[in-house]
Order: sequence, then structure tokens, then C-alpha cells
Amino acid sequence: MSYSRDEVKQITDKVMNMCQADAVEVAFSGGERSATRFANSSITANLIENDQQVNITVYYGQKSASATTHQFDDASLKRTIEAVQALAKRRPDNPELMPPVKPPQEYLDVEAALPSAVNFGPGERAEMVRQSVEVCEKLGVLGAGYIPKFHWTEATANSEGLFSYFRYADASFILTCRTPDQTGSGWAGTTGVKDIGNIDARGLSEVAARKALQSRKPRAVEPGRYTVVLEPRPAARFLQLMLGSLDARAAEEGRSFMSGKERGETKIGQKVFGDNVTLRSHIGNPILRQSPVGEDGLAARDVTWIEKGVVKNLFYSRYWAERQKKAPTATTANMSLVMDGGTATVEEMIKTTKRGLLVSFFWYIRGVDPMTLLYTGMTRDGLFLIENGEIVGPVQNFRWNDGPAVGFNNISMLGAPVPMHTGEAYDNPGTALVPPMKIEDFTMTSISPAV
Amino acid sequence: MRQNRRDFAKTLSLGTIGLGLVPSLLYGRDLIDGQPVVKDPRYRTWSEDALREARRLGCTYADIRFTLNRSHGLAVRNGQLTTSGSIGFGQFGDNETYGFGVRVIHSGVWGFASSPTVTPDEIRRVVSVASDVARASARAKKFDVRLAPVKVYDTFWQTPIERDAWEVPLEEKLALLVRTTQAMQKNPDVLFANAAMNFNYEWKFLATTEGSFIEQVSHYASCSMSATARKDGVVKSRTYNPGTETRGWEFIAGADLPGHAERVAAEAVEHAMAKAVGSGLKDLILMPSHSALTIHEIIGHPTELDRIVGYEANYAGTSFITLKDVGNLKYGTKLMNVYADRTHPGGASTVGYDDDGVEAQRWDLVKDGILVGLQTNRETAHYMGEETSRGCTFANHWRNYPFLRMPNVQMGPGPAGSPTVDQMIADIKDGVLVDGQGSFSIDQQRYNGQFGGDAFWEIKDGKKTRMVTDFSYNAITTDFWANLDAVGPPETWEHHGMGGDAKGQPVQSNRPSHGSAPMLIRRVMVGTAFS
Repeated sequence: MSYSRDEVKQITDKVMNMCQADAVEVAFSGGERSATRFANSSITANLIENDQQVNITVYYGQKSASATTHQFDDASLKRTIEAVQALAKRRPDNPELMPPVKPPQEYLDVEAALPSAVNFGPGERAEMVRQSVEVCEKLGVLGAGYIPKFHWTEATANSEGLFSYFRYADASFILTCRTPDQTGSGWAGTTGVKDIGNIDARGLSEVAARKALQSRKPRAVEPGRYTVVLEPRPAARFLQLMLGSLDARAAEEGRSFMSGKERGETKIGQKVFGDNVTLRSHIGNPILRQSPVGEDGLAARDVTWIEKGVVKNLFYSRYWAERQKKAPTATTANMSLVMDGGTATVEEMIKTTKRGLLVSFFWYIRGVDPMTLLYTGMTRDGLFLIENGEIVGPVQNFRWNDGPAVGFNNISMLGAPVPMHTGEAYDNPGTALVPPMKIEDFTMTSISPAV
Repeated sequence: MRQNRRDFAKTLSLGTIGLGLVPSLLYGRDLIDGQPVVKDPRYRTWSEDALREARRLGCTYADIRFTLNRSHGLAVRNGQLTTSGSIGFGQFGDNETYGFGVRVIHSGVWGFASSPTVTPDEIRRVVSVASDVARASARAKKFDVRLAPVKVYDTFWQTPIERDAWEVPLEEKLALLVRTTQAMQKNPDVLFANAAMNFNYEWKFLATTEGSFIEQVSHYASCSMSATARKDGVVKSRTYNPGTETRGWEFIAGADLPGHAERVAAEAVEHAMAKAVGSGLKDLILMPSHSALTIHEIIGHPTELDRIVGYEANYAGTSFITLKDVGNLKYGTKLMNVYADRTHPGGASTVGYDDDGVEAQRWDLVKDGILVGLQTNRETAHYMGEETSRGCTFANHWRNYPFLRMPNVQMGPGPAGSPTVDQMIADIKDGVLVDGQGSFSIDQQRYNGQFGGDAFWEIKDGKKTRMVTDFSYNAITTDFWANLDAVGPPETWEHHGMGGDAKGQPVQSNRPSHGSAPMLIRRVMVGTAFS
């Protein structure tokens, strides 16, 4: 299901014409979310979900309310509008309410819906599963995987005359291979791929299968501080742990890692990470090809969040920016995120490690102390001991207690950034360009025999 | 803009709105008097047409599930209604969503498709898409889906409620939350006072080729409050979280948020002044508000049969339990009795029937410390040789496919006369009493867990002394329960509903409840997260 710019504009114009309010904003979203899931080398779920909606926000002075309908016939729209108008009038004034964004907003032109992803159907996904299972069977492991696909359109229109439109399509291939005796497990995947030709189901299956075989019967080694070589997936998860702290309001209100010593102060200008940590939002990045539309329809622009370890910018929402007499950032910290990398390969990181761990995957990461960015999590799906520059064998998984506040001061090597999802699941946008990284003195606190 | 990336994420994983799409009688007072007023004959007609079409296309099984979900949330911060925040997995705000999903088995494989456009033509189209998806899947199947037999029902079920939360005026809800935060703000060290309530309504009509027509109406209510205090530069919080129940407004009224405001504010300040607990082996008293999450993570999840047989290997994980462990594994001491129960009044996952059309039931998981049962559905029951399903299939949205989800998993209380909390404290030389939920993390086979909490009190030489902070404990599942030394008596048993529980791909949220009496666990490793 695809929505052209003109089709969407007709819908949003129609809604705005039906509303009677001081101001109106209409957000459209719709399209297809599909997925194929398999386990024990057989498809267990295959689905195509279609959805569409308009979210209507009406304003009366400092009062507002929003409601959404999935049905676009006149009667449904009328009922929704009448309900939301009545609700808005009953709401108390909201002093933080911002008026709709005024045009013009110059959005970067991003081509994010390539035919190969748009047309990626259940048959093609099943074929990938077949290819993957073929590799798994050849190597004697069981495959469990997930192939999600999005083809989605987002648009915002308001009574000031603003109209933004963005359509994208992408897919991912994520695989966990396990040995039949359940003593080995390996992970491989690629996420947020815009050109399906870049998904190598066979190649990824080889990687996951070999990891599973190599991780069989791990031995226990003692908890403690280790040099860790994080492959891109655990590196992306680790990176994500600091994104929430880039909010200016939380920092200035004294409730974030980025808070300064006194209330109202932040760490902007302070060096909080190592020299090799540079993080920015690169709108229009040719690999990520993500949305150029920022908060409330503001045009998103490139933002450098961290440069050589120094905090350069925090996210100022429209409301907080106005209150603090600053310009709104427009770009949120998770948009088109790129972490600068280095020239090292994972193999070189291993070769230069006297004693450490090669980490394939981080799992179930949860906050322990948000003020210090202390988190806990597990390793999973392939953990290997490195001694004197070589992998000497699989080891049992560790629970870790650590975080970017410490870890991003201890990065000793970085590799080339690759697209990788930063979130726990893979169902929403969240792919960033993330390098593999070697971190010194990473704190492993207990062992788990879980495979 | 409503659809920034963060909001978009919520939209995809949850529902959104559609006011007035279904006859208004669905929402209102007519439901309170227990009359099944929802029975709109169109759904039966549409279902019969859909199932007939599925059979014509060669499907060996099909079901169609129409669902309307409505949610309404209010959050107040320092007396001001806010428009941000979340309860559970983003189930917040004023949302409504309506549509249908069709699930079929063709060529031995599942296919699923869904749509928000509820018309006869669209239903026929979606049936065809679901059938095509299943047929496409057949090229990569290794085995056929096997469904356990199910009884046939033609019935209506609804959550019993006393007062419909949707009929409570907005002003009354808001006033309660404002009053709560203002009462917490009377404490001069409180920086932020938050209070929130959330309501969910679900109407569902399920029809299957087995012959069932099942219509259900469920009401969910939840609320919570917290104070964040700053003292001498240290910022800490305290929460009172009554959780989620399948009830009406009476749940909010009974939770008495304003009545807890002074205590919560004072304990937030005390928390900011508390000393670190340090690390080492300590005895723990886990209050029911805390142990709900521990039960969820290290009993609830590992006893899900789909995890045990590998269905979740790529995401939520597998389990340390194997099929051979049923009837044999010593999970904990003889004091440990755990049961699953989708019939518990007020339970957050209490329903009449699951999304396979299986009637809700109660059964044992752990008896006298031995693992005796698992959570199953029609698709998985055969893996453990059971003839029928335990009724654990559930989808959180019309758009999503149903699969095995956790029911209410409850730890039974000790017999009458079991030790009370005061008696447990008197029996501890060096320990901590843990209340509420905090940080939690667990490995993919549910063996190594690390849990925090919301508030902690030191116990020294048989006395509860002072609040402490920087607390976490490490639980190796069977070792942990092997140190279960006391479970409180029946009158101390409490029930706590969870706001959300993620599983599946695409990820779906579920709402199980977990009840227990206070428990005493000996010699648990404490504080390693901070040491």
C-alpha cells in the first residue's frame, strides 16, 4: 500500500477544511508493515499488516487535544473532528503548548523508498528463509530469524500552510543459530537496509552458524574487568544508552547525566568522553536515507552532539528553546545518527588484545543509575576469550554493569561504521552508522550458564 | 508534529485512534449492568463470509478477529497536565484503534494479514492475502502446524466493573491527580511530583473455522505516582505503583493516591539522604510489590513453552528449562507453589477466552518446589504431550498476529500462621527489605537476573533500621528459590498487575499479573552493580 504526495495532501486538506478551531495540525501516517519469522529452521509466522491514520490536533488558545482515525470517509472524519474539538475545549490551559510550525521549511530531498524494498514481498522473504535454512542444515545448526519490512509514509500539514511528506521502505535480516545440543548460539544480522540487494542472507547465515558452532560448550572464566571487542550490534546498543541524556530540558532541570553542577547548568562545552568519540546527526546521509523532517515539522539539520569527547549540543524542544531563549534544535538525537569510526578491523582489535573478550551481542540492557549512565546487561549468542592476540575459545556469558560514561572514555580502537539498529527490537526506525569498538576495563560482574 | 520518530515508534507498536467507528453503545453505561449489548449481527455475518472464503481458498484453519482498543491516559507533573510520558510500553494518551486480522493455515503453515478498513470487500481481500502469505511460506517449512483440539463456544464475556472509567468526568480524574502532586509538593525537598492514570478498553469478536463465535469486553485501569527529591545535591525518587488491574474506576478510587502523597514525598527525601547498602551476601525480604517482577522474569518467562522449544530464540530467548524437566526439576524449596491463572478477578491478563478460543483456566506450574506445568497454547501443547491447550494465545492489537503470552503467574501464600514481615525481620541478622520495582535485567534463558527495587531498608540484628540506597541483587534462578525460607500467610498476599511485557516479532505488549505474600530469601548476593 503506497501513498503519493498528492493523495496524502488531499486527505490532510480535507481534514483541515472540516475543522473549526484557532489552529489545526494533521499528521498522516500509513503503509505496510510486514514480517517473516522462523524458528527451528521453519517459518513460524508470516504476515502483512496494513494501516493508515490521521492524527488531528486542534488548538483553542492554550488548549488543545488530539485524536486519530483510521477511516477516511466523511462520516468517520466528522465524528473524530467533533469529538476532538469538544475534548480540547474541556482541557485546562497548557502553558507548554506551542503553536503550529510556520512555513517555509526547507526539507532536504531524501530518496528513501527504492523499488527493491517497496516490492519486497512474502515470497521473497520466504526465499531468504529457504537460503538461510539451506546454510544452517549444511552446517548442522538450527536457524531462528526475523525479516521485517516497512513501506511507510509520514506527512504533516497545519493551518499555517506547512506540508511535509516523507516515504521510506527498508528491511532487515536478523538470525540466531543454535546447535541442536543447545550448547552453542551465534548471531548475525543487518538492519535498516534500503536496497534489498545489500541483504546477503546466505553470508549472514554462514556467520551466525559458524559462531554457534564455535561457541559450543563454553567454559566459565572469572568475572572482572576485561578488554572487550564489541562487534557493531553490541556497539550500537551501547551507544544508544547515552542518547536519552542529550535532552537539554532534563539536563537543565538537574535530572540527567548531562546536568551541570548547579541546577540550570549543563555539560555543554565539557569534555565527558574520550578524544575518539564524535557523534552527529547527518540528515541526508546517503546510506541511512532517513527522514529530513524534525520536531513538529521543522526542517531537520545536521547536528554535532559530541565532538572529540566534548558535548557540543543538546536537544532543545520548541517549548524549552523558547523558554530558555534559544533556537529549537529540530533534529532529535536519534535521527540519522552517525558515530565516527576508525581504521581498525575487528581482527586487528583481536590481534592487539592481550586478554579480553569478543562480544557478539548485548541483551536485556536496563538502567541502574540514570544520573551516572550506569546500566546492566548480558552478553549473548557468541562470547569468546581472547589471549595474546588470538581467540582461544568460547566462554560462558557475563552479566555486565557499566555504561557510556566510563566506556566511552576507554575506547582504544574503532573500526569502520556500518548500519546497525540501536534498539532492543528491530521494528521501528533506529538504525545508525556505528563502528565496532574496543573498550578497555569493561566491568563483567557475574557469570550465566545461559546459552 | 504528532508523528516524530519517537511517536511513530509508539504508533507502530501500539494502537492509535478512531473515534466513533463502532456503535457508541460499546463504550457506555449499558455495559455496566452486565447485559451483552454489543452483539452486532454484522460481525457474525462478516465472519461467516470470511471463514467460508478461507475454506474455499484451501485453508485448513482460519479465524477472524475484530478488535477495538481504546486507551485514555492522564499524567500530571507538579500540578500541570502534561502531554508526554508513558505507562507500560507506550500505552498512553487518548488513542483508539479498530480493525481486524485474519489468520489462516494453508499448506500446513500460518499466514496472517490485517486491515483497518472493515468492509466486506476488504475482508475478502485480506483473507486472500493471508492465504497467499501462508502459501508463500510453505516453500520454507519443515513441519506442519499442529493445533490441539478445542471446544466450541458461542458466547459473550466481559470484565465485571463497578464504575465505568470512561464515564468519570475528565475534571474529576484531573482533580485527583493534581491533588496528589500538590500534596507531594508540600515537602520542600521535592523537585518533581508526578501522578498518572491510564485506562484501556478492549472489545473483541473472534470467529474460527472450529465453529466458535466469542465476543469479549475487557476494562483495564492503572495508576501510579512518584516524587523526586534533591537533598545535598543527591537526586532520588520514590514511587507508589498500584499497577494494572482489569477493573473500572473503583481500582483508582481504592488505590487512594492522595492518601499516599505525604509518605511518598518523605520517603523520596529519605532516599536522597540514604547511605549505600554495600555488597555481600544478605537475607532479603521481598514485598509483593517487588517480587511481582522477580516472579515475572524468573518463573513466568522460563515456563513459556514456545520459548522452551525455540520459537523465541531470535529475540526474547529460550529457557533454561527443558521438556524433560517437567515433573523433575527442583525449582525451589517446598514452600514454593506457583500457579497460572487467567481467571483471577482483577488479574491484568484475566480474560474469558484466549485468541485461539480456549476458555480461561487455572493450573499449577510449581508444586512443593517441583516444576509440574508449563504455559501452552493450541500450537505448542503437543510438544509436551498435552491433549489440550492452557489458553495462552493473545494478540495486543487487531493488526498483530496472536501467539503464546504469559497469563497471571502467582506465587501461592504460605499456610495460616506462616511468618509475618515482622517475624521475618526478627529472624534476620544482616538483611534488606525491598519494596517496589526498579532496574531489572535477565539473561535470555532466564537464569541470571539482576534486580533493583524502589526503596530499601536495612535490617540489622532483627531490627529494621534505616533506608539504604544503591541496591541491587543477583538471582541465579534455581539457587535463588532454593534459598526461599519463608512465605507470608494468606492475609498478606497481594496481587500486582504489570503495565507491559514485550515479546515476539514484531514486538507486542502483554499485561500479566503476579501475586505473592512477602517472602524471605536467604544469602543473596547484593550490591555488585554498584561495587
